[in-house]
Amino acid sequence: MTKTATPVMEAAGWADAYLARAPEGDLFAGASAEMAGHWRAMLDRLSAQAQGDPAMLAGNVERQAVDLGLAFRLTGDQQERPWPLSPIPLLIGAREWTHIEQGLVQRAQLLERVISDIYSTQSLVRDGKLPANVITGSPHHWRVMTGAPPPHGHFIHFYAADLARGPDGEWRVLADRVRTPVGVGYALENRLALSRATGDLLGALNARRLAPFLSDLRRGLAADCERSDPRIGLLSPGRFNQSYAEQAHLARYLGLLLVEGEDLIVSDGQLFVRTIQGLKRVDGLWRWMDSRFIDPLAFDAESRIGVPDLFDACVKGGLMLANWPGVGVIESRAMAAFLPGLARDLLGAELILPNIATWWCGQAAERAHVADAMDELVVGSAFDRDVAGLTGTRFLPGSAMDAGQRAALLEAMARRPMDYVGQEVVRLSTTPAIVDGQLTALPFTLRVFVARDELGQWRIMPGAFTRLAAHGDIRAALMGEGDLSADMCVVDARPAPADGLASAMAPAIRRVGGMLPAKAADNLYWLGRYIERTEMTARVIRAIVGGSIEADLGPAVGSPTMDRLMGQLALWGAISGTAGAVGPLCAQALGDGAQPGSVRALLAAVAGIGEGLRDRLAVDYWRLVRLPLPDFDGGVTETLLEASSRMIERISALSGLAAENMGRTEGWRFHDMGRRMERAINGCRLAMLFGGDRASADDLTVLLDLNDSQISYRNRYLAGPALAPVRDLVALEPQNPRSIVYQAQRLAEHVAALPTLHGDGMPEEPQRLAAMLAARLAPMTGDILSVADLADAESRLLELSDAIGQRYFLQRRKERSEGVSLLS
Amino acid sequence: MIYRIRHQTIVHYDAPVQLARFNLRLRPAPWPGQWTSDYHLAVDPAPASIESRPGAWPVHVARIEIDSPLHRISIESSFRTGVQGGPPIEPQPDDPTVGAVAEAALAARDMGPAGPAHYLHASPRVPLVAEIGAWAGDLLVPHRSIVEAALELARRIRNEFAYVSGATDAATPVAEAFSARHGVCQDFAHVMVAALRWFGLPAAYVSGYLRTDPPPGMARLVGADAMHAWVMLWCGPTREWIGFDPTNGVIAGDGHLFVAMGRDYADVAPMDGLFVGGSGQNVQVMVDVMPEGEEA
Repeated sequence: MTKTATPVMEAAGWADAYLARAPEGDLFAGASAEMAGHWRAMLDRLSAQAQGDPAMLAGNVERQAVDLGLAFRLTGDQQERPWPLSPIPLLIGAREWTHIEQGLVQRAQLLERVISDIYSTQSLVRDGKLPANVITGSPHHWRVMTGAPPPHGHFIHFYAADLARGPDGEWRVLADRVRTPVGVGYALENRLALSRATGDLLGALNARRLAPFLSDLRRGLAADCERSDPRIGLLSPGRFNQSYAEQAHLARYLGLLLVEGEDLIVSDGQLFVRTIQGLKRVDGLWRWMDSRFIDPLAFDAESRIGVPDLFDACVKGGLMLANWPGVGVIESRAMAAFLPGLARDLLGAELILPNIATWWCGQAAERAHVADAMDELVVGSAFDRDVAGLTGTRFLPGSAMDAGQRAALLEAMARRPMDYVGQEVVRLSTTPAIVDGQLTALPFTLRVFVARDELGQWRIMPGAFTRLAAHGDIRAALMGEGDLSADMCVVDARPAPADGLASAMAPAIRRVGGMLPAKAADNLYWLGRYIERTEMTARVIRAIVGGSIEADLGPAVGSPTMDRLMGQLALWGAISGTAGAVGPLCAQALGDGAQPGSVRALLAAVAGIGEGLRDRLAVDYWRLVRLPLPDFDGGVTETLLEASSRMIERISALSGLAAENMGRTEGWRFHDMGRRMERAINGCRLAMLFGGDRASADDLTVLLDLNDSQISYRNRYLAGPALAPVRDLVALEPQNPRSIVYQAQRLAEHVAALPTLHGDGMPEEPQRLAAMLAARLAPMTGDILSVADLADAESRLLELSDAIGQRYFLQRRKERSEGVSLLS
Repeated sequence: MIYRIRHQTIVHYDAPVQLARFNLRLRPAPWPGQWTSDYHLAVDPAPASIESRPGAWPVHVARIEIDSPLHRISIESSFRTGVQGGPPIEPQPDDPTVGAVAEAALAARDMGPAGPAHYLHASPRVPLVAEIGAWAGDLLVPHRSIVEAALELARRIRNEFAYVSGATDAATPVAEAFSARHGVCQDFAHVMVAALRWFGLPAAYVSGYLRTDPPPGMARLVGADAMHAWVMLWCGPTREWIGFDPTNGVIAGDGHLFVAMGRDYADVAPMDGLFVGGSGQNVQVMVDVMPEGEEA
């Protein structure tokens, strides 16, 4: 058949061309007739949508991923990378999926039993079913947890299994993960990006939805909390963690409070979160922090990110902590060697989903087998540590070792055999993906997620985080260099019955508000201040290059106004000194990241603070914050003007989003207070600088320009700028949203509306200071306002800002007691 | 022998600290062959709470919370302790070999605080360092008698390492102390633990005291003016744990008074914790270990 130009024919071309080249055991090529029909239908639609061009399809999905703010870091990355998402989901049929579900439920039950035994009676070790060293060799075994069971009996709430499908169609478990469920947020976002990019494709395929799993998970966490309407936090290691974006997304999706260690405090064995309303009790935590770091007093004393005495809150205070500390002991490859036997002993059954075959070398017969059969095996670290003989890696196929490597490995294994396992070589089946604009078969693994529901029963998410390996070992981290991720859809023959239960299960109505952690308030306030500072710096640059006063790009001699503008940039740290030509100086103020007050450095600060607020900022807001600095050329005035104007526009867009789209919560108030505070402080400084008693016409023009009040002034006064009217307009006119008085009044309103800790109706310090400032400025007019009054207002603003920090933000810096080693 | 121990620590802070929470690991944990009585812990200023809790290892933990601002804290731990006399421990002809101990350690099922399986693996402060293993490789060969080999290792450390106070601190990595060949008792104990574990032998870190003044006619041991650290090696199911002191190149005897044992320093640190605020601090330590009847 010859190719025609019609999209549908192209689509048939995609599928047929792929099938002609697909390797044995490919998910599509090896699918049953029914499933092959689904695959074909999917590829038809995708191809039609992309007009037969695979690159276009990939581009569509990539754009959705960027719009969702999807990004990730590999270890060592400073900057986030764009998320590599394949536009072609994997399809798995209901029958095959049921088998996986049954296998994972069984496995979760088994792991729960094993962990529970390890941390209580240890009968498995006593009876010789599990060697002691399989437990103690794990860096995730915490002996301090022995005899401290979870108050509600569940060690595991959430579990993820990495699955491999062999070319024979058999599924095997590569690894069990219970420490942190990394990947579940990405799986959700992959689904979201794909469904946005492909319209009704997923619906047409009868793909099962992911949302019910997440509400089950949420209810499962709540069910183990003591109070009936519990406050649950997602404990994050902080914004430098590799999966922080995922954590923020999940917290937002599930309505959990995103908290870090310093937000929390244990008092009398109970956990509290520090909010702007004081301490509020926390009933449960979903932790994305390794056990090692959660409490420096009970686990690793070096931890700076944990919560002192969190251990006590768990063990004595009834805190729901998911998963329970110490569960990571079952993740080791050494443990995997024993799971088949433990399944027989504890469940009286064979594993439905087998492990990849694993031999732990801590036993003589197994060690001998691994040494003998090394060519057919992969030798790995038993406990995921660096071990001798496997330099630079944690698993190495025997067939890839040279004689020297093999001898070194055998010597090391003779000394410490318990540190090694042998595993069968895993062969992976493939699935279609788009690589370099071509439909290509790539090997894949799935990470599938399992959680307890309200009744403590195990639920499986009908989807997965799919990793398509470009090359390298698929047993490593979540994603490797060059890998792709993909969505996985469980497809049913018929559409699922309409979800008639939606209203029956609807939660009680809530409105915005809720609690604002002190740290989030702090970040929002400073986000506002830095955004405003960025805007004002851009305005000063625009005033310099924009021709509001006479200037060219030569050395700015002879103009005191220009000197003052440059002096202000230097004072803000946007330029290192005022000597030199105007163009390069402005280029420095815009683009030199080494200058702490440059627009580039301020934008970086804004993005940094914004990243810590990912759970609270709208996606559109976040995207604007992260846009790169516009291009410019320091030698061409127009480009500097253009770049500074672009920045001002962009910040106006942020202001618009904040004004129209942000809920009027306490968080919004802090954000707005930050902007008002910065604008008022800058307003005082600039009014003193350009509106002094001997201000020139140029000075006043610049002042009006920086205040964005040129037009208002001209509309009102026919003559050129005069001191008293300018002062009145930029400092005192309550109707001017850029005047100092306007900022002072908004600040006073905000602090008055914030919750108070006083029960006696007395004003708190910020309320008192803000009211006094507003009252002092209100009766003044431009003809009586003096420079001294402006200086007074500025110092009052600084005092108010300090008082806001003292009252609402975290003042506490935790220090580890160091140097008390008492040793000779 | 019965001893009276008095151990005072005074910390001066340059600026007041608040909300201090400390773990103190100063009270001797129970250990075969040693008893303790009349334990007294005095903390000034008086803490809001002192809570005694068992540790994960043979270690006793007192949790101290002080709410009031602190410029200075004084901690005084005092007790009587008795150790069995009898002939000193020495290598015996029927001691198990290094290889036999390593095999027994792999098979051990004891998950208790002193179970050998806990002390066989890399721990937070003692990673397995290949250079240390190579350096001890000629001693810890499988056919050698365990006690004799370990004693020779302790002597090698004493002979090859310089005792230099202040050159290392509580956070110095073991590999660093090893390559510099200097340090204090803590560094030497960590090096010895790392060497033993490299060969699959269960080795623990011990904190305790040495008698301040030597018995008549004997040399004063190094490390008697503060808390001391040495190593416990599990020597198989019959000989069990035996102490080796690499600072002095000896097998621990009735002048080595046990306080706590863990996988490394971090498990038995005499004092660690957190406070809010803080800048510099200055620590003074005074230790007296007097045999009863020899006082005054």
